[in-house]
Amino acid sequence: MFSKKMVLIVGVLILITVNVILLSFSSKSQSTFGLGRVGLSLVSPFQELVTRSIRFARDIWEHYFFLVTVAHENENLKKSLNQFVGESNQWHEIDMANSRLRNLLNFQKAPTHKVVAAEVIGKDPSGWFKTIIIDKGKSDGLKKGLAVVLPTGIVGQVIEAAGHYSKVMLVIDRNSAVDAMVQRSRARGIIKGESADQCRFEFVLRKHDVQIDDTVIASGLDGVYPKGLRIGRVADISQRNADIFYEITVAPFVDYEKLEEVLVILPPQAQDVASQP
Amino acid sequence: MRYGFYIGICLFLLIIQTTIFPYIPGMRGMYDMLIPFVIFISICLPIRESLPFALALGLIMDNLSGGPFGLYLTFYFWLFMGVRFTIKFLRVSNKFFLSVVVIVAVLVENMLMIATSVFFGPVRQLPVNAFLVVTQQFLWVLATGPIFLLSLLALAKRLNIQWDGAAPPPNAYG
Repeated sequence: MFSKKMVLIVGVLILITVNVILLSFSSKSQSTFGLGRVGLSLVSPFQELVTRSIRFARDIWEHYFFLVTVAHENENLKKSLNQFVGESNQWHEIDMANSRLRNLLNFQKAPTHKVVAAEVIGKDPSGWFKTIIIDKGKSDGLKKGLAVVLPTGIVGQVIEAAGHYSKVMLVIDRNSAVDAMVQRSRARGIIKGESADQCRFEFVLRKHDVQIDDTVIASGLDGVYPKGLRIGRVADISQRNADIFYEITVAPFVDYEKLEEVLVILPPQAQDVASQP
Repeated sequence: MRYGFYIGICLFLLIIQTTIFPYIPGMRGMYDMLIPFVIFISICLPIRESLPFALALGLIMDNLSGGPFGLYLTFYFWLFMGVRFTIKFLRVSNKFFLSVVVIVAVLVENMLMIATSVFFGPVRQLPVNAFLVVTQQFLWVLATGPIFLLSLLALAKRLNIQWDGAAPPPNAYG
């Protein structure tokens, strides 16, 4: 009834349709059908070995053969340190005042977060997605959705955790979104990645005050990133006449090309309510 | 010997793509170097060995990448089928043909990535770095893709890897 060629064509069309549906489903639901950790567990030990070997060789070069620049750097760091000691003292005073005032108002204490330090052992093989592989996994308490940070700012969040390795989606990935606000004016919006070195700061109403070089921080409302973590600085602002939102470009504080170590924030432990006198 | 050769090359390519190239400024725009390898196994191995191998590679790449799960699996599967279908009609010993296949495959993979980002991503617009990424990968594959594929074929021949009645005989690659 049907020729062999016809059956082949229909078979291929069905296969393509099923393929597109599955791809659509996996991208919407971020599902890996239970297979998401196989490759991580198989390849990551080799990635770790190669990364550690390269870093070991580079450390030897930098620590023993490259000491002239280190002397200059040391002088500059000492100058910076003096400046930061003064600033640190000032912040300490403000912190103490803040604690006293919080106690007076009977506020809950800010949650203290445990962090796990992890090493970056691999990066996304394509130029289209921005993810990294780190050398900590479920055995270290990591799970999907945990925030990954650096002292300089937010790095991303864990999207897959295997036994000893995890995959982290960076803030600059197109699929990333962080609820954020401008530190100075508290104007809120969403930081979205662009798969480039910069992010967009969307849904910030034009009635709010936003200026170039303003610092953007996490608002804490997305339930992933703790409030107050730094994200980046406002690099560009444009306003379209008909639009009620700003078009803001944010330059992240973290240099994603040079990531080597990161900190993963573990879920907060049970907090005691601060109602002490 | 043969499986060791394939697994060794795969592992080598996976490792340099994820741990070495991303840290070398000029090589961040490198194309997916497993594409020439998938073409290589599609041409040289019988389907019962090469198809599971191509699918396993797709699965591993999906695990290592941040894209939707199944993206690499899809691409490697169709690349495999496409190459198997094409070699029924065209001479594989033609070096120009092999070069064109590698370049076209890299471009098609990029188109698939863009289509996935646009249609299945959170925003229905072209990634801002799309032109840059495609251009970089195109230039890299133009410069090294055909050489890499032909080197793989020559290396396999030199190591006297046994061929199991796949499409062309080993002496077809000159």
